Parts: sequence; structure tokens; C-alpha cells
Amino acid sequence: MPTQIRESDWMFPTIETVHVFALVLVVGTIMTVDLRLLGVANKERPFSQVASEMLPWTWAAFALAALAGMLMFSSKALTYYSNIPFRLKMACLLLAGINMVMFHWLGTRHLEAWDHGRPPRAAKLAGGASLLLWTTIVAAGRWIGFTT
Amino acid sequence: MIKEFCDWLSSTRVSVAFQSANWFVPTVQTVHIISIAILLTSVYVVSFRLIGVTRRGQPLATLVAKSAPWVWIALCVLLGTGILLTITEPARELLNWAFRVKMLMVIALAGILLVVQIRLRRHPAYWTESRTRRLAARAIGIAAVIIGAGIVTAGRWIAYV
Repeated sequence: MPTQIRESDWMFPTIETVHVFALVLVVGTIMTVDLRLLGVANKERPFSQVASEMLPWTWAAFALAALAGMLMFSSKALTYYSNIPFRLKMACLLLAGINMVMFHWLGTRHLEAWDHGRPPRAAKLAGGASLLLWTTIVAAGRWIGFTT
Repeated sequence: MIKEFCDWLSSTRVSVAFQSANWFVPTVQTVHIISIAILLTSVYVVSFRLIGVTRRGQPLATLVAKSAPWVWIALCVLLGTGILLTITEPARELLNWAFRVKMLMVIALAGILLVVQIRLRRHPAYWTESRTRRLAARAIGIAAVIIGAGIVTAGRWIAYV
């Protein structure tokens, strides 16, 4: 499979298209949740409602993006492994994951108190960090294409 | 004719400046991709409601009214960043059939969004009022989902055809 992807004219662009399509939906749905935390969008709706509407799509799209990403990685594993933007992207994905887990453990403990209103500072911080990390992930991802 | 225009544009001082800055294209593309994320997510949230995949949550008219500014601001940023990319590499875009197909799909999607929004602004129950309207809403939603995916696909293939 990796060799086929590398040698075919159409396989890499096709997998890359699936990756881009899935990742824009990951970023778009996560940003919706982040912007609710920051009080920019969907202010009048409960946070839990925005999150439960968006996050199932985030996970589905993330699974697709990760699968396509792994296929792309497999076609030129050594090149990507030693690529700095690639490493930065993986590090930011890890940080985004940690940020999300921490938010779900600690940030939503008193959710009933702010679900309909303004989130506490820690939750806002998690939203801001997520926004920043995902922007960096997109930028680093784009840089991989220009440095490999 | 287009070929001559591309040659002229790529030799202008501003194009040469963009070409010589290595960071310029990936930076503009990053802004472009994040704007696509905002646009496509907004379009899909509305489309899934039109199709009936999602039923809960806020009324369709409210959903569309709230997503409208995001959609049009994202489209303006996409147009702006797209123009910057075209100024940098005119032949890569203007002589490319994937680019032309993409532009046709962008116009079609913008038209669809405008029709959905204008109808709802005048009459909040427009798309759910009768069986015919519901079927039309469904068809429009499916078209928007396919065209949205088509725009992303054609966009990525500009780099390969």
C-alpha cells in the first residue's frame, strides 16, 4: 500500500483531498465549541447543547483525517519523520488532546453553574488554547507540503 | 489572451515580491484553509438541517440567520486570500481547469446560500411549509453538501493538474 501510494499519480492527491475535507470539518466544529467558550458565538445557547451537537461530527471527521494522514505518512515515513513542521504538528495534536482531556475532567465540573452563561476563566483559557493549537496544526500541516 | 495576462501579472512588482517571500504562500493558504473550515462547517450545519439529518436544536430560520455573517465573512476572506494566491502564481490558477471548475462551484454555492437565506428572511417557515418545499429544501441541502465537498476537492487538485 505505501509503495502504491508513492508511485501512483492519483492516490496521494486523492488521500490528501480526503484529509483536507475531513480536517476542515474537524477545525470548523472545534472552533464552534471554542468560540462558545470564549463568548464570541452561540452565547445565548447552553454550552452543553453546542458541544453535544458539534463534537460527534468532530470525532467522525477526526477519525477520517487521521486515517488519511496515516496513509500519507506511510508513503514517505522517513521523510515526514525527520520533517520539523511534521513534528510540530504532531506535538500540537498531542497538546490539543491533553487540553481537551483536562477540560473535560476539570473544566466541566461545575458546568451547571455556567452552562447557560459565561464560562469561568479556566474554560475560556482551554477554548483559547484549543483555537491557537488548531491554527498551528493547520499552518504546520501546510508547511509540511512546502518542506518535503 | 489569458496566457499573456498571466505572464504580465507574474512579472509585476507585487507578484515578484510575493513569489520571493517563502513564507507568503503557506501563510495565505493557512488563512484560506481556516476560512474554508468556517464556511464548510456553517454550510453543512444548515444543509444537514435542510436534508433532515439533524432535527433538534434551534429553528432553521434562527440557525441560518446566525450563520449568515460567518458564511459571508468567510467567503470574503476566501476571495481575498484566493486573489493573493492568484497574483503570486497566476498561471497555476487561471490556466488550470480544476481552478475554473472550483470557481463555478463557488458561484453555485453562493447562489444556493443566498436563495435559502432570502426566502427565510421573508418567511421563517418557507422551507417547511409544504411537501414540495420540504423536498426542495432536501434537494438544495444535498446539492450544497456535494458542491461543498467538490470545492475542497477541486481546490486541492489545482496543485496536481
